[in-house]
Amino acid sequence: MILIMLKKWFRPFEKVDAKQRLTITAIWIVLVVGYWIFASRGTKHLFPTPVQVWAGMQSLYAEGLIVHIASSLGLCLQAAVISLLISLAVVYLSPLPAIKPIALFLSRLRYLPLTGITFYLTILVTNARSMQVWVLVVFMSLYFITSLLGVLKDIPPDEINHARSLKCSRWEILWEVVIKGRLDYVLDVLRQNLAIIWMMLVTVESILVAAGGLGVLIKNSDKFANHGRIVALQIIILLIGLLLDWVLQVTRKGLFRYSTY
Amino acid sequence: MSIKYEQKDTILHVENLSVAYGDKVIISNINFTEKNIIRPGKAQGQTIAFLGRSGRGKSTLFRVLTGLEEPATGVVLIPDYDKEIVNEQQPAKKVKEGDVGFVDQKYTLFRHKTIYQSLKFAYRKAKISAAEKDEKINQYLHDWGLSSSKNQYPNELSGGQRQRTAILEQLLSSGYYMVLDEPFSGLDVGNIQNVKDAFKLINDSHELNTVIFSTHDIELAVELADSIYVLGYGKKNDNTLTHTGTILKHFDLKESGHAWQTEFTTDHLQVVKEIKEIMMAS
Repeated sequence: MILIMLKKWFRPFEKVDAKQRLTITAIWIVLVVGYWIFASRGTKHLFPTPVQVWAGMQSLYAEGLIVHIASSLGLCLQAAVISLLISLAVVYLSPLPAIKPIALFLSRLRYLPLTGITFYLTILVTNARSMQVWVLVVFMSLYFITSLLGVLKDIPPDEINHARSLKCSRWEILWEVVIKGRLDYVLDVLRQNLAIIWMMLVTVESILVAAGGLGVLIKNSDKFANHGRIVALQIIILLIGLLLDWVLQVTRKGLFRYSTY
Repeated sequence: MSIKYEQKDTILHVENLSVAYGDKVIISNINFTEKNIIRPGKAQGQTIAFLGRSGRGKSTLFRVLTGLEEPATGVVLIPDYDKEIVNEQQPAKKVKEGDVGFVDQKYTLFRHKTIYQSLKFAYRKAKISAAEKDEKINQYLHDWGLSSSKNQYPNELSGGQRQRTAILEQLLSSGYYMVLDEPFSGLDVGNIQNVKDAFKLINDSHELNTVIFSTHDIELAVELADSIYVLGYGKKNDNTLTHTGTILKHFDLKESGHAWQTEFTTDHLQVVKEIKEIMMAS
């Protein structure tokens, strides 16, 4: 019986039930944690022990981890809202032939390195917190514009023709098919790009140490080679990222009943 | 047995129509006229079928008939019912987008609107009060068996409900004319019957209602239509094909006595055979 089940687990495209999926996940967790405990034994080890990570977690909490998380989330939210508004304005106007080249150009700018942008932003922005926000806004917007342009490109011509056959003017088509008809995709674009943004946020936070945030904590821990704290922070950052992803997914499904993907 | 009818005003006139994309001419020299059918004691709409092998320009012709595409030459005229009759004739107008309803084979709907919202949107330009609109929409929903699902989105509908909604939308928006591009494609027997029932509902509800459709099912076309046009490649002088779609033959099933029959007879099969032969040679 067990042998048959194991055989199934190693057969390509085999379907397994929820219970078996849970078992497989549990086995992997046990294996990874087991390897971690085993590999971090002895006096010389590259990776911190679970005990060190737990201690790191406790010291971070004592130093106001929650306040730092709130600071990071606040920065993320502020930048996300501004960049979404800018990106949506650019993308929604991109069906206009006069605006399309600008939208495409902005999308190509995502290949620019961070250093180049921060140099010019330093000249334009005096406040360090604004600097953090605008560095994020610039980069998030470039990624949002790219993804949202992809959403627009994937709208089937049949949907446009359907609207035209119902006597929609060109602006009505833009409103009904592109803006209202693809609102759920905006949340999904935000969700898909959040991983990059969340990673970038940590880097950007190191620009202004006084403002705090997870980026500052990880930078300080790195400076003092406190590996227990570094791994603890990485786990926290990963878990918050996954939580944000889940919240956006649930919000999309809750708000838009017609969203099928 | 031939059924009594007469033909009155012209309801659709297509003259010297051609469509080209760059140097490639897709269809050319398309000419036909359809007239309003009057049957004693019965409101009888028109059902016109276009048959032809793939790539012969049926969809292109439909895009022009619905005003979604500008022809390279020629004109599509329909009566302008907003104008007064002059010399016992309804003035004609060039078709423009929205004048003729268009239903594609996927029965596309607004993904973010429920059935009721879609119908309300389709009916937004009608010059009647909101209460009258609401009453008419609810009547249609009842007649077409959609009342219980009126608050559902397209992704929550069955294939049949989706078809009926797409057809109703166009009925409310464009009035008398509706073009359906391969409405039977990929449908099971139940859904085919649903679309056939929808055709009958449209045809029986107003004598000016005109359904134009294309299909690869020749028997179905002969069963449903009162007028059939076969599209195909014409022949050059050296007897080779032109690779430009045009009308090869018109079958007036009213005149030949095949239209509106309750039984599909061997006579109908003879028409099917004839159409098949023309299509195979084109």
